[in-house]
Amino acid sequence: MKRREMLRASVLAGAAAALRPSLSNAQSAAQSAAQPSELTPAQSGIDASKDLSGPGWKPLFLDEHQNETLIILSDLIIPATDTPGAKEAFVNRYIDLVLAAETPDKQRAFLNSLGYLDGESMKRFKSAFRYLAADDQDLLLHALAYPRTGGGWAEDTGPVADPGHTHFEALKERIMTAYYSSQIGEKELGWDGAFAHGPFQGCEHPEGEHK
Amino acid sequence: MSGTYITLKAGMGQDPLQQTYDAIVVGSGATGGWAAKQLSESGLKVALLEAGRAISPKEFTEHMPAYKLKYRDHSPEVVRTRPVQKQCYACMEYNYEWFVNDLENPYSTPPGKPFTWQRLRILGGRSLVWGRQSYRMSDNDLKAASRDGYGDDWPISYADLSPYYDIVEKYVGISGAAEGNEMLPDGQFLPPMKMSCGEIQLRDRVKAKFGHTVTIGRTAILTQNHNGRLQCHYCGPCERGCSTFSYFSSPFTTVKDAIASGNCTLITNAVVSHVDMDTAANKARGVTYVDRLTRQVKEVRGKSVILCAQALESTRILLNSSTREYPNGLANSSGALGHYLMDHVVGAGASGRLPNFNPLPNANEPARPNGIYVPRFRNTPSSKKHSQFIRGYGYQGGAEAGFNFNAEGYGTQLKRAVKEGEYSVSLGAFGESLARWDNYIEIDKDLKDAWGIPALHINMSHGDNEAALMQDAGAMAAEMIEAAGGKDIRVQANVEMPGMAIHELGTARMGNDPKKSVLDPFNQAHDVKNLFVMDGASFVSSACQNPTLSMMAVTVRACDHLVGRFRKNEV
Repeated sequence: MKRREMLRASVLAGAAAALRPSLSNAQSAAQSAAQPSELTPAQSGIDASKDLSGPGWKPLFLDEHQNETLIILSDLIIPATDTPGAKEAFVNRYIDLVLAAETPDKQRAFLNSLGYLDGESMKRFKSAFRYLAADDQDLLLHALAYPRTGGGWAEDTGPVADPGHTHFEALKERIMTAYYSSQIGEKELGWDGAFAHGPFQGCEHPEGEHK
Repeated sequence: MSGTYITLKAGMGQDPLQQTYDAIVVGSGATGGWAAKQLSESGLKVALLEAGRAISPKEFTEHMPAYKLKYRDHSPEVVRTRPVQKQCYACMEYNYEWFVNDLENPYSTPPGKPFTWQRLRILGGRSLVWGRQSYRMSDNDLKAASRDGYGDDWPISYADLSPYYDIVEKYVGISGAAEGNEMLPDGQFLPPMKMSCGEIQLRDRVKAKFGHTVTIGRTAILTQNHNGRLQCHYCGPCERGCSTFSYFSSPFTTVKDAIASGNCTLITNAVVSHVDMDTAANKARGVTYVDRLTRQVKEVRGKSVILCAQALESTRILLNSSTREYPNGLANSSGALGHYLMDHVVGAGASGRLPNFNPLPNANEPARPNGIYVPRFRNTPSSKKHSQFIRGYGYQGGAEAGFNFNAEGYGTQLKRAVKEGEYSVSLGAFGESLARWDNYIEIDKDLKDAWGIPALHINMSHGDNEAALMQDAGAMAAEMIEAAGGKDIRVQANVEMPGMAIHELGTARMGNDPKKSVLDPFNQAHDVKNLFVMDGASFVSSACQNPTLSMMAVTVRACDHLVGRFRKNEV
């Protein structure tokens, strides 16, 4: 995810529209309209930002247990603080939507990772992750969140792949993408909703005093 | 619905297919737009054929936030129709319809030799989404063979091209800084964009330690109002279009001018299959195209035919235009047609953190759609000959504070770490791709596109010299970043598959010798005097600079010559 991919808005759209008449000659090359099917939904101006927030939402891909587990996990990874967290941003709904359109391989990989979480939970606490006490959830996540580097008797042994950490990172990546690409996520990053903020000023420090 | 005809001032009321044009230009991108502009403004009657549809600024999405998109620009669906195009960073959920549908536009490659062919079929072609970096070549590039003994010199020199670079730069608007660098001639620049603190530190330390130049990217983006277009407003994602037309794209500049001249007829949805020959006179008499929407086959007649369809597409048209006289492709008595395919080698570079800078990212800062550039410093007139490779590479890169989406852990501390950010620096190399006979394209006899036109078999791999360039480029990038104070440096020295630079060049090279080249030094086919290829196909060598500026200069020069021949009644 790149910052500039995440930060766009429409405040200046009005200004740009106002400029267009003076540039209308530029449009003379553009008289044959595209067929509707030859525009992306974005190019057609379709706003899908409210699609996932309706009260009647039902998952397309996840079952109830998977969905509930994802809601809890996502809110542990990105909790509400003084700003909203993953649950409020409907991170689970977005991930469900994407998964429904993914290839079977990627669908399976996601379910494997989610299943791994429950597997570890069952092993250590005899209960699925979503039913654990908050302290136990944290204990388990902590064990998965930081990679265990392989000990290695020989000096040349590098880090050993840690399947628990790999599954955690896969789930976290989906959750991060879902959260920071949402409108709540844009606000979390402090974006003011404008897409133009004057010319790039660059470094204005005196020579040798760059910060 | 048939093909779309626009502007018929020249022949109002006439069927555009019943006329004989002075020139038929195939392709409306960076080079085709220039050809149409130059020829029509000099009074010639031009038909400009574009395989795709027209475009409207209403389609621009640069100011649409990602959260309004169904998949927020992470659509898993794009890849279904565009598995190849998706490999291009600029093909996204916002704009994927601008890129070709790979299912309709197949090509083949040999086992184990992938090639990624990323392209658009729409008015303006790739100029809508291009990277905009604009650099001149010097005689160190054009006469490289004389310097190191590999390959062939261009039949033209910097003195031939320089006036045309001036014309193109003045019209397009290239922002950049003059450096007096021997490998990267200065041009007609608009004021340069600014550098960040980290970039200035990199520039100064690289100069002090290695003596190499680091400059702000020279880019076809306006830093002041220019030729009726507005300066950049720094929103960031040019590849989705620009409501102020601040970056150069042909539909809103050259093509617009061509149409305004009253001498240019634009025919969209015209998928050209081949050049038609008057065999008795050994002259091209026009082109045949398939209407993209109706699939009807049609012909346009012209006194000259100019291919600007993109390097591989232009050559594909010639290969599909075989006659009894030219059984292996039109204008291919040399046998060189299709050969010497090049694409800059990429896959090497380095990145790191600059811990002495304030990493705090600001979501409300102007987004500069440009980076820094390190001109080639290997095998230059003032440097030692390198023992491992010939030619060289340049870097594109940048340094800035950004949100740290890779922060470890979870919970409130993760949320905080994301916002605390990271100041990162990176350099990525573009290396010269040597012209080699055995990198070639040919027609795949068993494969056709959706319009029944035989498709290409693309046979290309990078060689040992490209691999050695990337080895050195990775190591040098790491050294430069270290000199700039970089920490946690990650190095890459890979060779990515050809096509990834999206700088395809060659396959119809120019030269003085008709036995060894397809085109003469003015882009005219040696074999057929009224047939021209005025795009990247004509390149003899690739240099390592982004080639579009040079392609446009070559086109304008060739058009100048063609207009002169029309005036002397030689066509």
